[in-house]
Amino acid sequence: MVLSSVPSKTYTVRRFIVRYGVYVSLGLLLLVALLLTPNLYSQQTLTVLLKQSAQLGLIAIGQTLVLLVAGLDLSVGAVIFMTSVIIARVSNGVDSALPTAIGLSLLLSAVVGAANGLLITKRKIPPFVATLAIFILVQGAVQAYTRGVPGGFVPQGLSVVNQSTGFFSIPVVLWIGLTGLFLFVLRRTTYGRRLYAAGSNPAAAHLTGLAVDRLKVSAYVLCSLLACLAGVVLTGYVGYVDRFIASGLDLDAIAAAVVGGTLFTGGRGSVLGTFAGVLLIQVLGTMALLLGLTIQAQFIIKGLVILAAVALYSLARVD
Amino acid sequence: MYLQLKSLPMTQPDIILDMRHISKAYAGVPALRDVSFSCVRGQVHALVGENGAGKSTLMKILAGAVQADSGEIVFKGRSFSHLTPRLSLDMGISIIYQELALSPYLTVAENIFLGREPNRAGVIQTGQMRKQAAELLERLHVHIDVDEPVSELTVAKQQMVEIAKALSRQADLIVMDEPSAILVGEELEQLFRTIHSLVAQGVTIVYISHRLDEVFQIAEQVTVLKDGALVSSQARAGLTQPELVQMMVGRPLEEVYPPSPGKHGEPVLVVEGVSNKRLKDVSLTLHAGETLGVAGMVGSGRTELARAIFGADAVSSGRILLNGKPLTKASPAQAIESGVALVPEDRKAQGLFTALPIRQNVTLPILKRLSRYGVLKGGQEEQVVEAARDKLSISMASADQEAQYLSGGNQQKVVLAKWLETQPSVIIMDEPTRGIDIGAKFEIYQLMRQLNAQGVAILMISSELPEVLGMSDRIVVMRDGQIAGELTREAATEEAIIERATSGGSAS
Repeated sequence: MVLSSVPSKTYTVRRFIVRYGVYVSLGLLLLVALLLTPNLYSQQTLTVLLKQSAQLGLIAIGQTLVLLVAGLDLSVGAVIFMTSVIIARVSNGVDSALPTAIGLSLLLSAVVGAANGLLITKRKIPPFVATLAIFILVQGAVQAYTRGVPGGFVPQGLSVVNQSTGFFSIPVVLWIGLTGLFLFVLRRTTYGRRLYAAGSNPAAAHLTGLAVDRLKVSAYVLCSLLACLAGVVLTGYVGYVDRFIASGLDLDAIAAAVVGGTLFTGGRGSVLGTFAGVLLIQVLGTMALLLGLTIQAQFIIKGLVILAAVALYSLARVD
Repeated sequence: MYLQLKSLPMTQPDIILDMRHISKAYAGVPALRDVSFSCVRGQVHALVGENGAGKSTLMKILAGAVQADSGEIVFKGRSFSHLTPRLSLDMGISIIYQELALSPYLTVAENIFLGREPNRAGVIQTGQMRKQAAELLERLHVHIDVDEPVSELTVAKQQMVEIAKALSRQADLIVMDEPSAILVGEELEQLFRTIHSLVAQGVTIVYISHRLDEVFQIAEQVTVLKDGALVSSQARAGLTQPELVQMMVGRPLEEVYPPSPGKHGEPVLVVEGVSNKRLKDVSLTLHAGETLGVAGMVGSGRTELARAIFGADAVSSGRILLNGKPLTKASPAQAIESGVALVPEDRKAQGLFTALPIRQNVTLPILKRLSRYGVLKGGQEEQVVEAARDKLSISMASADQEAQYLSGGNQQKVVLAKWLETQPSVIIMDEPTRGIDIGAKFEIYQLMRQLNAQGVAILMISSELPEVLGMSDRIVVMRDGQIAGELTREAATEEAIIERATSGGSAS
């Protein structure tokens, strides 16, 4: 425990690692890519990279919000599946029905998020268990609804998410825009300040008059809504309904937030760090692909990067 | 039995434990200074003293949990410079702490023999274990089903299981750390009966307690510690309660308390017959510009009173009025809105956001004032934090510094700064100077006086009697969730407070 009021040198170094570690790592990785896999910088590769980053990034923003209130959301995969089924069923390939379908998806996603939040705050169920149960429940309910055969068609109009202008496409703009929005919300609004406080020390937040439970529920609702948006984008991207549409993305999103410096214990992290964490994971994956590494090797590298990031942060933490 | 090692001085045969000239310092701060403590076999020996007198440290040394810096421990004729937890247990020393160390989902028998189950080739002999457990409980004259999970038992019965566990280890000496703190009424009588039967079986008991009436009821020997030093060790017979209180306190009031402005206004906080799980019919009135001290032992309901006023705990009957208006629901938000602030006892767990910057700690309750449409206005926050830093002389590197890197005194100032921003008319301070250095203490006392002079009423809960006496305009003493007495500044003495806090004297 450092008692002096002037920060020591090690404190400064540690704080630098915690705050900027992910950006420095991303920068170094991009430099390495310049030497190792220069074709990463081709227009085509970058466009795909950004598009995939956007899909992961939308989910990761939500995960960052729930991680900030010392939570976790394992149900996003089910929300994404639900969204794709609703879009296909409700619109049944008709473009004009798309707004209704998306609106309904958002509404049901908000309900799922509220259920997560209420189970965790009112019933005091650990986030891992509550959101896992909701994941299974929603997944099961959607399959019961489709009777195992996803029917309907994804409207042509939704393929607009695949069109790019330069590096930009709707998902990428959405991802960057929402990152910017939540950066602002978390830093400059009363809601953001309160969210950090509720996650950092719920007991003290309650004794400072904050509605801690309501703040936590709001984070889960936002997380589900963001997952729903990711679901819309993914459905347009894939073009058909698939139960495994989100497989891997849900856990990668948590990994991206953690690599970006968001702590599981709550109250610490930022969507900008998560943004960089998403890019870090996607650049690594793309590089592995360009190097012709097997999918197994890619998983091993990804796992090692997450471990390295967590180890670095825990070393940097001052107790 | 009289065989002794030659190097050892002759020990009385009936002295089971002799701790000699024990000294211990934590980071240079002495916790025990040359304390000697000895127990006669088969007696109840009371160990008394205020919080921080060194009782716990002495017992931790006996348990082997802490090593003394110097001194020796002679137990059953064997001399040691220090003990280890294993050695202490093996020799027959058992300590029963206030927080019982039982596994809630295991049965009574399983708990008693945990880690030492009667077994054959690693297979537990359940029948034998249950029979032995029943025999041990029989020795204590208590009726507890050995197959019941411990979580199903009352706290009093759980304590008996702990004692049975000690007996199963052939304990000759059992230390009970504040055993009565968790007991009520008849349970205490049962504990005393058990202690009597243990003593009759030759077991020695060290009984640590705040409650002097219990000491007089059960102990044969009394040892008083104060500020880490031995005050007295003598037979209880011939000792009176006031003498004992005098020995526990007996220190001059330090000259660190600024004088009270002494001018009080209208009542701002009125508590009328408030009861809940931990409080019984508590009434008090706090006037503008006044500091009301709340004294009492830990667990007497002081913190619960603070939480009830602040809306952190629900109230089952009675009401709380602020400036004449009743608080309608248990909600800290409402209390804050009405002008109450709470500086909690446990700063790190309940007061401070250690991982957040100082800025975010200070401005949290007034974000509404600093924002428009939910968006914070640039620059205003900086002004607020800077003003707070100057006013409270908080020593910090920048407003972005995380609160965890501040000293205890500066952390407390940050918590205070947070509440001063809400411009409260009542501030509840629970142990306002716990764990902070004397310089910062003095600054906080001066701040309290400034607030009083501005008409702010302060409800100060404190375990430090000199602080209670030095800062309070009036003092209420709590015991068992009730107000056990009220003292004016003039009539208040440490003796008077301790008497009301311990023996339930209701005369004021």
